[in-house]
Amino acid sequence: MDSAREHIQSELETVFRRVFDDDELLISEATTATNVGGWDSMAHVNLIIAIEKRFGVSFSGADLASMRRSGQTVGHLIGLIAASQNQ
Amino acid sequence: MEIERFLTNTDDPDLIPQIKVDLKAANVEALAKDFPRLIGPGLDYTTANLLHRQLGQLRRQIELKERRTKVALLGSFTTKPLANLLDLFLSAGRVRLDLYEADYGTFRQEILDADSGLYRFQPEFLILATTWRDLGRRPDMSDDRHAVERKVKSEVADWKSLWRATRRLGCQIIQNNFDAPPWRVLGNLESRHPASFSRFIEMANHEMQDAAPPYVTIHDIDHLAASWGRWQWGDERYYFHAKLPCSPAHLVDYAHSLASLIFAQLGLGKKCLVLDLDNTLWGGVIGDDGLGGIRIGQGDPESEAFAAFQRYVLGLQRRGVILAVCSKNTESIAKEVFEKHPEMALRLDDISCFVANWDDKATNLGRIAERLNIGLDSLVFVDDNPAERSIIRRLRPEVAVPEMPQDPAYFVSALERHRYFQATTISSEDLERTGFYRAAQARQAVESTAEDLEGFLRSLELVGHIAAISAATLERSVQLIHRSNQFNVTTRRHGATEVQAMMDSPAWLALSVSLKDRFGDNGLIAVLLAQADTAARTLFIDTWLMSCRVLKRGVEQYMLNRLVELAEARELDRLVATYIPTAKNGLVRDLFAELGFTCIDRQNDGQTRWELALGARWQPLTHFITEQP
Repeated sequence: MDSAREHIQSELETVFRRVFDDDELLISEATTATNVGGWDSMAHVNLIIAIEKRFGVSFSGADLASMRRSGQTVGHLIGLIAASQNQ
Repeated sequence: MEIERFLTNTDDPDLIPQIKVDLKAANVEALAKDFPRLIGPGLDYTTANLLHRQLGQLRRQIELKERRTKVALLGSFTTKPLANLLDLFLSAGRVRLDLYEADYGTFRQEILDADSGLYRFQPEFLILATTWRDLGRRPDMSDDRHAVERKVKSEVADWKSLWRATRRLGCQIIQNNFDAPPWRVLGNLESRHPASFSRFIEMANHEMQDAAPPYVTIHDIDHLAASWGRWQWGDERYYFHAKLPCSPAHLVDYAHSLASLIFAQLGLGKKCLVLDLDNTLWGGVIGDDGLGGIRIGQGDPESEAFAAFQRYVLGLQRRGVILAVCSKNTESIAKEVFEKHPEMALRLDDISCFVANWDDKATNLGRIAERLNIGLDSLVFVDDNPAERSIIRRLRPEVAVPEMPQDPAYFVSALERHRYFQATTISSEDLERTGFYRAAQARQAVESTAEDLEGFLRSLELVGHIAAISAATLERSVQLIHRSNQFNVTTRRHGATEVQAMMDSPAWLALSVSLKDRFGDNGLIAVLLAQADTAARTLFIDTWLMSCRVLKRGVEQYMLNRLVELAEARELDRLVATYIPTAKNGLVRDLFAELGFTCIDRQNDGQTRWELALGARWQPLTHFITEQP
């Protein structure tokens, strides 16, 4: 795993902790919605808003749609953030 | 912290992490005190949602002292995020949201079907959270002016029929107007072309505003959209993906705006703006810099900013907000600025209560509330000095204390965006109220010098008028029902619809009283609602309240005499009244005893029931009010 992705993951963990109000929450590239308590569709919107603000990115409609498909992972999210940042 | 710094009610940046610690440690007292202070319109979406989560935890830990209000939130979008934020803002005013939501996009069916969940829920407030997408009609390019006007009329007729259908519920409707989208297919021509969509929306908004009866409050989301910027407001991604009505960032302010309307309807709005002087109304310190040295008026940016703030405050005063001064100054020196400085927008006449001395401000705020006869929770305190703000927040937690920016250029926005002074209507009494409060203080001065009470009351030359509440006085009567806290025997907050029903019912007496004296016209100052039970030959007093401006004028004796006349005209034998204690109405605890009633029931919670037997033995009470010819 490259250091840019690691860096995003650690920032992302801070965002997750804030959105889910859980200071001990740990995430990995393999984490999915089913692993995190309370990650429902409402929380998902909150999460996206917090991520966009934290990373200064704006996801495209296609990105948003791809996140909602089941089985998508935090790794996928990190990829989207990295791609948005590189634009 | 991601709080927009000047839209909070706290100076403590560590309060959010502290809340977390307190929640873990179940530090109940600190939480109940600190939590509401965090909730301001400047919260970002993520923090606001975090606080809402914590509010849930807080409510599980302690029984917050909140009054419950049933609100149905119907819209053609996902209403839950808005509902959560509304819950958060209402909690800051100690109101607990009892929420009803309908399935996505079914608000018309809910209203038109009398068997729907909405009717079972029986809300006090029905929010119709619409957007421009809910407009059923659109202009066609080929439409001429008349065709467009017909479409506007029939559009508004649809909404009016929805409003009428809810009359079975008797609730207050909060109806959004329509926010114009940022794009304009006709470009600059949109403002002129008869068939343009934005012009159509503008016309529909005007028409709807004019058509709204008193039970409908129009919530101006078009203004919200415009003030945030239309491109910012309507983030289309969130509509397409999450069916949110606007960009989530602005949902926070949207909810704050709705909450302010509910507070106003519940009579929880603020009444009085208390202002510091030095570096709040002008630049510099009058005691040090003198009349020529303070910065106010034209010439330099700082002076102009203070002048602009004064003009804004004067605008608030003109629409009925009471102004008070609370300053650490020598009174004569402070007053001289108002009397003599040519560039002051505010004059001594505009200030209903002027307190300048060297006592601490917490004590002075208590005096101001007492002199104006209003609660501390009706005050907003504006002071540039962070130390003063901090002390007041600690010692007078009921008083609203907004954070103020250092730059006076932002004073207006720092105050305005809290929506403290939301009014549901502006009546002529509002416009004159500040005058009343000043005259009331002149009366107090007379009172303290008059030889005896009778001489004083006679000297006032009181002229009263008792009448059945009519269409012309309904609005003001309802306003009084919602605002009066001290002289209010049952504190039942009847709405316009309920009072209208009483006015229409032969069994009910719905009376209002107006009063003049030699200092001026007090306007409509008391309301009494009573129901006759002919079988029991009894008149039951449901509601009796009076504006605190006219206490101790003999109005209660005057009203009782009339009530007895009216009861006897209906061949009733007795009056029955109830006193329900609240935190504020201790003033009338012994009212009925003083008026000659007999106590017939006394409950553990302090509620008492009283009876007055009519007939030959009853003697009219003495007062000094002449009936208006």
